[in-house]
Amino acid sequence: MRLESEQMWGYFEWLFQQFALLWGVGILAGLCLLGFIVCYVAATFLYGPVEGFYAVTRVIYELFARDLPSTTWRRTYAIARLAFQEAMRRKVLAVVAVFIVGLLFAGWFLDPNADYPARLYIESVLTGTSWMVLLLGLFLSCFSLPADIKNKTVQTIVTKPVRSTEIVLGRILGFSAVGTMLLAIMGVLSFFFVVRGVRHEHDVRAISADGKTGQTTLDANHTHTFEIGENGEGVTNEVKGHKHAVVDTGEKGEDGKPIYALEPPVGMLQAKVPVLASLRFTDREGNTGEGLNVGYESNYQKYIEGASLMSAIWTFDDVTESRFGKDGINLEYTLKAFRTFKGDIVTGVQGTVTLRNPNGKVESNRLRFIIKEFQVDQMSIPRELEGFVNSEPKKLDLYKDLVDENGKMEVIVRCEDRSQYLGMSQADLYIRKADRSFGWNMFKAYVGIWLQMVIIICFGVMYSTFLSGPVAMIATLTCLVFGFFGGIASEVASGKIPGGGPIESIIRMPTQTGAMTELDLGSDVLENVIKTIDYGIMSPLSVIGRVFPNFGSLNTSSFVAYGVDIFSSLLFRHITQAACYFVVTALIGYFFLKTRELAA
Amino acid sequence: MSAVAPAASPTTATADSDIIIETRNLGKIYRDFWGRPKVQALESLDIEVRRGEIFGLLGPNGSGKSTTIKLIQGLLFPSSGRAFVFGKDARDVSKNERIGYLPEESYLYKFLNAEETLDFYGRLFDMPADVRKKRSEQLIQMVGLKGARRQQLREYSKGMTRRIGLAQALINEPDLLILDEPTSGLDPIGSREMKDLILRLRDEGKTILMCSHQLADVQDVCDRIAILHRGRLRELGRVNDLLKVREVTEVHAKGLSAETQAKISELIKSSGAELLSIDNPTTTMEELFLEIVRESEARPGMRTSASAQASK
Repeated sequence: MRLESEQMWGYFEWLFQQFALLWGVGILAGLCLLGFIVCYVAATFLYGPVEGFYAVTRVIYELFARDLPSTTWRRTYAIARLAFQEAMRRKVLAVVAVFIVGLLFAGWFLDPNADYPARLYIESVLTGTSWMVLLLGLFLSCFSLPADIKNKTVQTIVTKPVRSTEIVLGRILGFSAVGTMLLAIMGVLSFFFVVRGVRHEHDVRAISADGKTGQTTLDANHTHTFEIGENGEGVTNEVKGHKHAVVDTGEKGEDGKPIYALEPPVGMLQAKVPVLASLRFTDREGNTGEGLNVGYESNYQKYIEGASLMSAIWTFDDVTESRFGKDGINLEYTLKAFRTFKGDIVTGVQGTVTLRNPNGKVESNRLRFIIKEFQVDQMSIPRELEGFVNSEPKKLDLYKDLVDENGKMEVIVRCEDRSQYLGMSQADLYIRKADRSFGWNMFKAYVGIWLQMVIIICFGVMYSTFLSGPVAMIATLTCLVFGFFGGIASEVASGKIPGGGPIESIIRMPTQTGAMTELDLGSDVLENVIKTIDYGIMSPLSVIGRVFPNFGSLNTSSFVAYGVDIFSSLLFRHITQAACYFVVTALIGYFFLKTRELAA
Repeated sequence: MSAVAPAASPTTATADSDIIIETRNLGKIYRDFWGRPKVQALESLDIEVRRGEIFGLLGPNGSGKSTTIKLIQGLLFPSSGRAFVFGKDARDVSKNERIGYLPEESYLYKFLNAEETLDFYGRLFDMPADVRKKRSEQLIQMVGLKGARRQQLREYSKGMTRRIGLAQALINEPDLLILDEPTSGLDPIGSREMKDLILRLRDEGKTILMCSHQLADVQDVCDRIAILHRGRLRELGRVNDLLKVREVTEVHAKGLSAETQAKISELIKSSGAELLSIDNPTTTMEELFLEIVRESEARPGMRTSASAQASK
């Protein structure tokens, strides 16, 4: 899992500094303007320019002056309850039965030899649940209102003092309630499926003559080795993403040696809390600069050169004992190596970590590590450590000496091997706080799925106010597809994905021109024309991609699968986004319902 | 997009609260997908329904009855003219607070039972739970569905469906009841009960607008009727007046001799016989209806009393 910098934005940072509020207001204003123009053109066509204007403004006036103030919870609840009952009578609970059957047979298809079985289990259930409730929301929301209009049952509702706002809101709430219920059932089932699926036990199979090392039995397709410390307790090596604590049972064997037992796995189902920091680089001379770019992929990661003054400096805020514990801090990092020569391939590229007080006067000794590529490495930094104060060697207290008066502390990473490079991004190094509950993290992931479902229901209900059931479904499905893959359009349009737009790609394929090379057709004019047309195609798609909900970003399943606690700020951002889509789709649905003849 | 009409206001209705429904030059053109006129369903309809009367809309299929009812309820938007109910525009949702509507086919939710149905519609009128419960109980008793209150509507016969349809129309104790084919699907006894109920509701002061193909029903219960044909109003008036055959005099006499019977029109008074009554006979609603339809097809245009008399 790769944390994107935008995932780390705080809620208000996202809202104000990253212009989410501005974007939201802009899109809303644009939609309002576009909607007004489209409605006005349609009304002008039917009634003429003056009366068309009157017709459109009257509907807007009625929304704010009559329908919204007259909207009551009792009527909205009645419609919501009806939608719920309708779904229940349509035997929607069969979805749960299908899900249970899926879980029962899931074990057949999940690879028991996977490197990270917990990840596999979690991703499987979350992806399965996600698609099931999204499709459920799609079908429920798209067909209900058109069916009511077709059966004319809607006539008995709209001839009561029911506002269009209540019909739209009631349906969204009703179907969301159905989806919530099903999601809750599936969530609980999934939780126990995952917990039971990864649970396993080992026994001690063999122990060395000195009683210091041993090996576990083969269970769940793996075995561990372990070491026993002086205190008689130990821990296994990490296999398949977990360890076991080894404890002395207090009993003695026939040979008089203590009998050890292994505790349940640790690290499989976790929700670690990374505390992230801002990142800056120094250049080869040690001055503030930028990391090196070693190729296209380094847009995300920057590199520092070995055996030079280049370094990556993370500045952490609010480094306190109460936050990270009195025993010190746990650093975790996932760094990348870029080798310019083969070097010592067995040992690997070496780096160091230095803790420094931002005042520059106090810093720790360099703590060496050997890079473990493609996996998370850990370093426990004790409370007391050796270091320097004004270049004088001294024993340091982590919190007292290395943290400045503002609570800031710097972590400096350097590469020690000449002509080798270490790559990193902001999220690649963090201090790990005390873990949160895995169950709570899974709940948050389900909130993410729930938000996606609610958005789909909102779109489904909106489309169903003016389209027939099947057409509304296709339209909502288009939203879903755009929501998952629309980001590609903006990445192509912005040049983030190489290879150009559709026309350029069509030319590249038969001419076997790689995506990374410049398009060369022998004519600048022709190339520019193609690029301009491509831009003309991709830009509107990019805007549409921004307008539709980005389901990919709303999906936080990978956090749970990779054992990272879902940031609360991220969750609140997603809730805010979903709320915006709810408001916009409900408004559009209202206008369509208000301006259509339900008995035609 | 919403229909637009001249900024007329229901002057009569506001000035005179006895006018419950008023249509002014009300017209409806159904259009195709491209907005081209397809059918002129209703043309320049001007009618008024007064407080406490039973007003019947008659006409053959496609005459514009249902269109009129839908326009009055705001289910359709007028192409011309306007409709007012309780002095409010037909598209004003708040007017529905005082209206009960029984649609032609009782388009109700089949997966609900009678209690759930009435509770649901009660909620739509924002009625508190205790009021809903009490009212539902009364209505279930009134329409005779006590034994089937827990059955889903999908299991109801057509007659039972009409009854629960009527019950939902009465849930809010409406001042105006709009009934679309109220006796449709009912057996003779059910039909009689429905008509008695309509009359009773009228006596309670409610205004009723109904449309029906059952001419005998209309004749039995309606105070005034409007007959529509091909979207146009052909006849409008009190039922008794419309059914009167004015050019024929009916004499009821007693003790007349054979001679005086031959010269009855000249001799009644001079013969010294006892004159019991002289009146115009009435026709049946069915004859009147068929005659109007025949005449309308032969000579399009508004039928006048004179033409009606001449045709006799």
